[in-house]
Amino acid sequence: MGQEGLDLPQGTLDLLILKALSLGPMHGWAVSERLHQVSQATLQVPQGSLYPALHRLERRGWVAARWGASENNRRAKFYELTRLGRRQLEAEAENWRQLTAAVALVLRMA
Amino acid sequence: MLRALLSELRYRLRAVFRRGPLERDLDEELRFHLEREAEKLRREGVGEAEAMRRARVALGGVEATKEADRDARGVAAFDALLRDVRYAWRGLRARPGFAAAVVLTLALGIGGTTAVFSAVDAVLLKPLPYPSPGQLVRIYAASVKHRTEEMVSTPVHFLAYRGAAPALQSIAALNTYSETGADIGSGDGVRRIRTLEVSADYFDVLRVHPVLGRAFERAEEHGPNSDMAVGAPVVVLSHRLWEEQFHGDPGAVGRTLSMSGVPFTVVGVMPAGFGDPLTGRGVEAWVPLSLTTGLDMSNIQNHWLSLIGRLRPGATPSEAQAELDVATERLTAPYPDSRDDRTYVVPLKPDVVGSAARALELMLGAVALVLLLACVNVAGLQLVRASERAGEFAVRTALGAGRRRLVRQLLTESFLLAALGAVAGLAVARLGMAALLALGASSVPRLAGLRLDGTVLAFAVAVAVASAVVFGLAPAWRAARTEAAEVLRGTGRAGTGDARSGWLRSALVTSQVALAFVLLAGAGILLASFRAVASMPLGFRSEGTLTFQLHLPEARYDSLARARFWEEFDRRVGAIPGVTAAGGVSWLPATGAYHTWGVEARTGPLAGTRQAWAQADNRIVTPDYFRAAGIGVLEGRPFDASDVMEVPDRVVISEALAKRLFPGADPLGQQVYTGGRTGTVVGVVSDVAVDVEGDLVPYVYHAHAQWAGDRNWPLFDVVSTAGDPEALVPAVRAVLAGMDPLLVMDHPAPLAAVVGRGTAQRRFTLVLLVTFAATALILAVLGIVGVLSYVVRLRSQEFGIRMALGASPAEVLGAVLRHGAVVIGSGIAVGLLGAVALSRVIASMVFHVSPLDPRALVGATVLIGVAGGLAALLPAGRAARVDPRSVLE
Repeated sequence: MGQEGLDLPQGTLDLLILKALSLGPMHGWAVSERLHQVSQATLQVPQGSLYPALHRLERRGWVAARWGASENNRRAKFYELTRLGRRQLEAEAENWRQLTAAVALVLRMA
Repeated sequence: MLRALLSELRYRLRAVFRRGPLERDLDEELRFHLEREAEKLRREGVGEAEAMRRARVALGGVEATKEADRDARGVAAFDALLRDVRYAWRGLRARPGFAAAVVLTLALGIGGTTAVFSAVDAVLLKPLPYPSPGQLVRIYAASVKHRTEEMVSTPVHFLAYRGAAPALQSIAALNTYSETGADIGSGDGVRRIRTLEVSADYFDVLRVHPVLGRAFERAEEHGPNSDMAVGAPVVVLSHRLWEEQFHGDPGAVGRTLSMSGVPFTVVGVMPAGFGDPLTGRGVEAWVPLSLTTGLDMSNIQNHWLSLIGRLRPGATPSEAQAELDVATERLTAPYPDSRDDRTYVVPLKPDVVGSAARALELMLGAVALVLLLACVNVAGLQLVRASERAGEFAVRTALGAGRRRLVRQLLTESFLLAALGAVAGLAVARLGMAALLALGASSVPRLAGLRLDGTVLAFAVAVAVASAVVFGLAPAWRAARTEAAEVLRGTGRAGTGDARSGWLRSALVTSQVALAFVLLAGAGILLASFRAVASMPLGFRSEGTLTFQLHLPEARYDSLARARFWEEFDRRVGAIPGVTAAGGVSWLPATGAYHTWGVEARTGPLAGTRQAWAQADNRIVTPDYFRAAGIGVLEGRPFDASDVMEVPDRVVISEALAKRLFPGADPLGQQVYTGGRTGTVVGVVSDVAVDVEGDLVPYVYHAHAQWAGDRNWPLFDVVSTAGDPEALVPAVRAVLAGMDPLLVMDHPAPLAAVVGRGTAQRRFTLVLLVTFAATALILAVLGIVGVLSYVVRLRSQEFGIRMALGASPAEVLGAVLRHGAVVIGSGIAVGLLGAVALSRVIASMVFHVSPLDPRALVGATVLIGVAGGLAALLPAGRAARVDPRSVLE
């Protein structure tokens, strides 16, 4: 899938999408662009997984979607974090920090 | 957590039911993405076509994305469910007999339950149509000594109670006792309406206020002249009367309505649908109750006023009762006669629903039995089907279908059946409710409010789902235990004929027979009771007798004129060709207790002792009443023209009262005290039933001519004839018009029909129960046929071998019938135990027969035995016809 950059570990895509959306409502393409830019092109977001992931988040009530006008004035579907999603983001970010810290520790010590 | 679940559910429902729009959304969303991606690539210098291609590649294929997306939306699970349902549907279509039997059984069970539940809901469960109905209470008076019956109260008590009980927010009095009414309109449009005298706080207690104008004020409880029965001449109209008399004109308030010739000022109009809780919807106008203390009002022993009250939030009826008892004690201290008076405060709703509650509870019990029977029947059918399909399931297991998958399949089938049954059941329910209304609307209070509403619907669905699970689990459980290899090897009994499941099936049919027995026996007992009641002598002649009510407006008839009118009217009606006699009475016999007052012997052997007191129904009659109603004079004389206002009071008493108050003495010439007056006994008449159950109570009869001044009595005229009573109506009307064209002949009807109305409620119960019993019998017969057919199929090999070895078809027939006999016999035995256990429930509804009437029990036994025997013959005959060759090959 990724011709360049790193593949995403399982389950982190949701976290990244939530994080991207925490800045404000944006449409799917913008999410993918944002992740690509912020990671300084190291992370390759699998675009094929992006939309199923967005809809899964919507199903869980973590993001809400509505149709609106894009920056070039076209109809686009915008996603935004719900209160539930914001809480989820905090919880998952914390999990991630603990996990990476633990993994880093193990890598250093063992 | 809950919110996440709700969001998930909402999304999934949308995903399933709004699939098309969601797919279009997805298309559009992906197209937008591709365009933006291509645009970005173009800006980076990539060519048009190449940019689009690269964008598609980056997305990883549009169709694959869409498929992944559908999974994310949870559509896949629904597709699998749809497959299951389609498969189940095909399975059911392949066995239409089985499916029809199950759906029919469920339809009867669910439909019957729903219809009867609607009735119970309308009559018992729905609150009274007033705000905070739980706070409404009825207040009775009763004596500690003679608490045989709760009595209504008196104005003296009412005035003392008002404000005396902090537990009561408000308290109101209403005169439901006399059939008060008024003649309104003029000329041919003259009509009698039902009016209700109420105290000023009446509308506050019910918390329903006029939509127009105002309610009564306390000052209006006192009229301009004290001999008027009502207070101030003001009136609150029902919505209907307002529309009829004032064409819905909002300016009606302040105008006058002439009622029986007296102008009343309209002060208010009630909202549509408002009715009195005690007397029902018939009331068309409310007038203030007169609380001016006159001779009659001040009598602390003259109970004629009904009291209702509203509890303060949180207060209980017993608190209110304790407070009112204190007030009663203070009030009655100076009166030795009333020292034992107590108050009873009871919740209003059970009081209003009254005797119909038991009938409906019984019916709900019966319908629950039928539903249980239906479920058992379906379970039995499912068991048989599951064993038939053991082979199919074995093959599928062998091919790798998981047990969970098979169980799911069976549950899907059950739910599908339950859904079909529920739909058919709702149709049955609609029919059933129409039948209930047709049967019971006139005799069961509040039944008119019967409709299929959300509660009932939810109930039906709950029942359907519950039965689906109940009977869906049994076969699922069996299927899960089936050893595939054993079945496929084809070893003899297809893995289902083991003793255990045979026992289970027989137990199911036994319980069906038992349930059917209980219902049949119950219906039989009620039937016996109904017949016993119908043949009870009531003590008067109801055939060939016309009755109607007549009210003389106070404005044109003073007490003397009323006495004269009735004398003349009886004479003229009695002279109509074909009429034997005509006489008036204040309340018709066998239509319930009325003016039940304490009566005391002032002379005779018991005078002065505690035994000198009895409760008796009082009736105001004109002289010819006894002859017109066919009530025999046993001693002395009936009333005659000599019993007038100027002479001392005279009474005629019933035989039962004579025996009670004057044992061993000549009742004639004795003195009795009742209704605040003392009268001399001039005659003894035969006993008369007070209700259609044939209960004989003591009666005291008073001469209308002597009591005309007591109050303005509307009398029921009783006209006896040798011919058709209804044919007399025009002639009587002509007599009435000849005497006073403004008078209204109210509700003319044959006396037999008026009395018969009381039996309607029991007939209602009976018809329902008989219907249920018949349904139960049909279901039980179906169950017997089903289980025996199955036994025959399982043992056909055995029968074939037996016959090959020389057994006669008769022996085989006997073997199957024996099996049937065991099942039916044990069912009847269990049912008998059930009937004994339930006899206490039914006892309160049964009159003049034992709640374990042997005829009913024997009848139920015979009926089930014969029907079951016939049902067993069908499969038994099939067993006897088994061809040994076909089995042995």
